[in-house]
Amino acid sequence: MSTRHPSGGHRVAVTGIGVKSPAGNTLEEVYTALLAGRSAATRLDRLVEADLPVHFACLAPPFDVTAYLSPREARQIDRPAQLLLCAAADALADARLPADRSPDRIGVQIGTGIGGLTSMEDATTGYATRPRDLPVHTVPRTMSNSPACRIALRHGFQGVCTTYSSACASGSTALAEAARRIRHGELDVAVAGGVDSAVSTVVMGAFARMRALSTRNDAPALASRPFDADRDGFVMGEGAAVLVLERLDEARARGAVVHGEIAGWAETCDAFHIAAPHESGEVAGRCMRQAVADAGLSVADIGHISAHGTSTVPGDRAEARAVDRCFDGQSPPVTAVKGVTGHLIGAAGALEAALALVCAARGTVPPIANLHSSPEANWVDLVHGAPRRVAPAPVLSNSFGFGGQNACLVLAPPP
Amino acid sequence: MPTREELAVTVRTVISDVLGTDPAELQDRTSLLEEYGIDSLELMEIGARLERALQLRIDPDDLIAARDVGHAIDLLRTRMDSPV
Repeated sequence: MSTRHPSGGHRVAVTGIGVKSPAGNTLEEVYTALLAGRSAATRLDRLVEADLPVHFACLAPPFDVTAYLSPREARQIDRPAQLLLCAAADALADARLPADRSPDRIGVQIGTGIGGLTSMEDATTGYATRPRDLPVHTVPRTMSNSPACRIALRHGFQGVCTTYSSACASGSTALAEAARRIRHGELDVAVAGGVDSAVSTVVMGAFARMRALSTRNDAPALASRPFDADRDGFVMGEGAAVLVLERLDEARARGAVVHGEIAGWAETCDAFHIAAPHESGEVAGRCMRQAVADAGLSVADIGHISAHGTSTVPGDRAEARAVDRCFDGQSPPVTAVKGVTGHLIGAAGALEAALALVCAARGTVPPIANLHSSPEANWVDLVHGAPRRVAPAPVLSNSFGFGGQNACLVLAPPP
Repeated sequence: MPTREELAVTVRTVISDVLGTDPAELQDRTSLLEEYGIDSLELMEIGARLERALQLRIDPDDLIAARDVGHAIDLLRTRMDSPV
């Protein structure tokens, strides 16, 4: 096995994964829900009471936060930071890093699309007319780098700590930037991923005003249906996913369990519209191609695609065209996790990368939940009904965000 | 005007809320700095909550100057006798 990546840099291993997501709070639970095509969307009375047009979302199931956080810590932070800290603790426990790692060589790289906006919404709602009573932790709670810095603070990681914001692509951006820092030797270990938790009145209302959200209030579990003819928008989800990245040669030398590699990545911007994807899929398709090339692979090496697939007509259609372009009409099998998990915004790319690693290693393509017939079926090979078995092979994981953000990752099974 | 014991219950409850401890753990001789590593934001939060609970303007210096919980209670009693 070559210890060098085709780029000449270090190969990047993933040695730890932690998730807090609507489809489960362990990776194995999420994987099981994914194979079963079981949607996590549920009706939330508080959304009905708030007079929102959307009555449902995907929330992470309750778990014992006291197993992770002291009451004092829990009181100072908001839900996004809480979910991220817990996912990071799981990822680090999974990675079993040796205690002698130098803390200034460990960095934190996190993506978030919405950050602390919902906490600021609470502060605005509660204190706009009495600013002198604002809780003193308002700024540290709401600043967008708070969740990432809380990880650094808690574990004493003194390497570079960065928060990336590329809307719904944030989690993939963070993983790409983290992997770059490992590849080029800037860090020995990167704790990287994404987080968002924004099922609030204003955020849900604002997305609903764009008609981006599904309003299938009579059947929430059928609402997220990527690529299906009857889709009517995405389903808001919350969660966090964290991966521990390190040099593959170092991971092997210490006998770590390697989940797989972040083998390649690319990022581009449509530069077309602030929210709509370019319908030709040209720039997104180029991003996919660049990510595959960055991994030192050809498109024929890709075993399957984990699509961004949000269940919006413009998004799914543009992505299908982009895949068709990138693969010259020879689409590999395509799955889309959001049918089960909903759209975790800044956490989506990180959760989907974690699942792609599992699927790459096990040679499984999960079915797309709620998909029955698709107008895009002539462009892409959509997996539905039941999981499809394939040979273990690298997975292309796509993330696209408002602003025209494109971020693609290539996740390879353990060498 | 609350008795010292009534005031102590309020102060201990507010501090334990902010620090996530049990009020019974907070004795007059408890030092929040040495035993809990309290930071300035938490002290400000305690001050803000006490202001609301006691309907009293509190000088942050009173809390910062306090050696321990008992001293803070005594300083508050003085402040209640002669409001700022």
